[in-house]
Amino acid sequence: MSGEEKRLTMIDLARVSKTFPPDVHALADVSLRIRRGEMIFLTGQSGAGKTTLLRLLSGIDRPDKGYIEIAGHDLSRIADAEMQRLRRRIGVAYQDFKLLPDKTVAQNIAFSMEVSYRSRQFIRAQTERLLTELHLLDKHDTLAGRLSRGEQQRVSIARAVANEPELLLADEPTGNLDAETAVLVMQLFRRCNEQGVTLLIATHDQAIYDFPGSKIIRIENGRLAIQKPPTAVRKAEARA
Amino acid sequence: MNFLVAVFSQTWRSLAETWRSQLLSLMTITLSVLIFTFFYLVYSNALQVGNRLDNDLRLIVYLDEQPNETLQEEYRHKVEKFDKVERIEFISKLEAYEHFKGQLDDSQDVLKDIPKDFLPPSIEIYPRRTLDSLAKIKDFSAYLEKLPGVLKVQYGREWVERFNAFVRLLRVVVLLSGSLLILTTTFMIGHSIRLTVFSRKKELELLRLVGASNSYIRTPFFLEGALLGLLGSIAGMTALYILFRWIQAVFASRASSMFTFSFFDAQTVCLIIVLSVLLCAGGSFVSIRKILSV
Repeated sequence: MSGEEKRLTMIDLARVSKTFPPDVHALADVSLRIRRGEMIFLTGQSGAGKTTLLRLLSGIDRPDKGYIEIAGHDLSRIADAEMQRLRRRIGVAYQDFKLLPDKTVAQNIAFSMEVSYRSRQFIRAQTERLLTELHLLDKHDTLAGRLSRGEQQRVSIARAVANEPELLLADEPTGNLDAETAVLVMQLFRRCNEQGVTLLIATHDQAIYDFPGSKIIRIENGRLAIQKPPTAVRKAEARA
Repeated sequence: MNFLVAVFSQTWRSLAETWRSQLLSLMTITLSVLIFTFFYLVYSNALQVGNRLDNDLRLIVYLDEQPNETLQEEYRHKVEKFDKVERIEFISKLEAYEHFKGQLDDSQDVLKDIPKDFLPPSIEIYPRRTLDSLAKIKDFSAYLEKLPGVLKVQYGREWVERFNAFVRLLRVVVLLSGSLLILTTTFMIGHSIRLTVFSRKKELELLRLVGASNSYIRTPFFLEGALLGLLGSIAGMTALYILFRWIQAVFASRASSMFTFSFFDAQTVCLIIVLSVLLCAGGSFVSIRKILSV
């Protein structure tokens, strides 16, 4: 890979495999390159390996085999302090939300910004802007544990976006949302993408991944199956 | 938001959530500081009593003959060979007679027919008023008794021995209570940190996921430990002062003038507080590194 190509690459995976005991091959020989500013939908059935891939990319798990590079950092060789700095540049919306139930919505969102030492004004403004955008402003001071699943999901997304990450990983971000709220979330993602954020969204919600310019990666039994624009995927799925 | 503001607000939030469990640690630290400083106060006052002994703590070496200047110099040399002393005074027969006469006050006429040289000449040795010198006084006396021309050596043997035993006992108690302070403080801080980590487990996990640095995670625990040390030692010292004033008020009339007890000076109080803070902060630092590996 040339220097210029490397600079333009956000995610680079080469022959990545991950097996969970006793014998579950979550990912097998996955190779993938995602350029900066791309918006990719990772689709596939439950258990196909989407969440495993996102966990490897966010550095929560390590692959058994293969090579992962994020924004030029080789995750197998990265030092602790460097990994911490890299994590501040990656926003992750987890499938299980990972919210702190005894903290307010605002405190949960502020978390990702506080570790980057953002100013109080920035944190306040960003929290209010995101809550307004996701129709949650009235929940600003509500404890996260008292929210519905759909509301918790939106708070988790707001926290992932709040620190203006370079890379955003979202695991089933609309899984608990109605169609109208899912549109709000997708509008937020699209706006982030327009500002240069690279997005990798794991989903099996067909309704959200059909828009121009985005790419779909299908994963089946831990292997990459298709890598095409959405309309082509839809046609392929219709033929199947 | 800079690093300090971020960790201070983290610490404040954590304390607001876990203050109930921290109270037990605070009370234990307070009690440990109180126990240690109480014995230390008694010990340091005992040392001061030793310093006030003044004339009572002298060795009187009775000689068979009045030493001339050369002999005096020789005695002086031999005394200082054993231990450094505060001062040495040679008392002639006549000076001893005058001194004795002065002590008799109104009954001086009993000396009318007695020759003025009936008392033996002597050397009065004033040892340094340090515990080391006091501890050696028995050996010192034995050494002096062996010097040529010495008839007898006199000193408040029983009193000095009792005092030495008391001070030695106090020294052991101070060391034990100091060790107790260190053990209980580090144990309680470790326990308190473990409880806080347990109650904030999810939060700490999330902090790592969003890229918090190691110092961002551990500094609030370090500050909590330091704060516990500060509050615990201030409370302990305050309790000691109240106890001291009460003892003074109750026993002031009964105690003799030799035993006027005094409290620690400001410098010692500050030193005890600073040491407690360092001990607690260090304890929490070690615990958090051990528990969280950060």
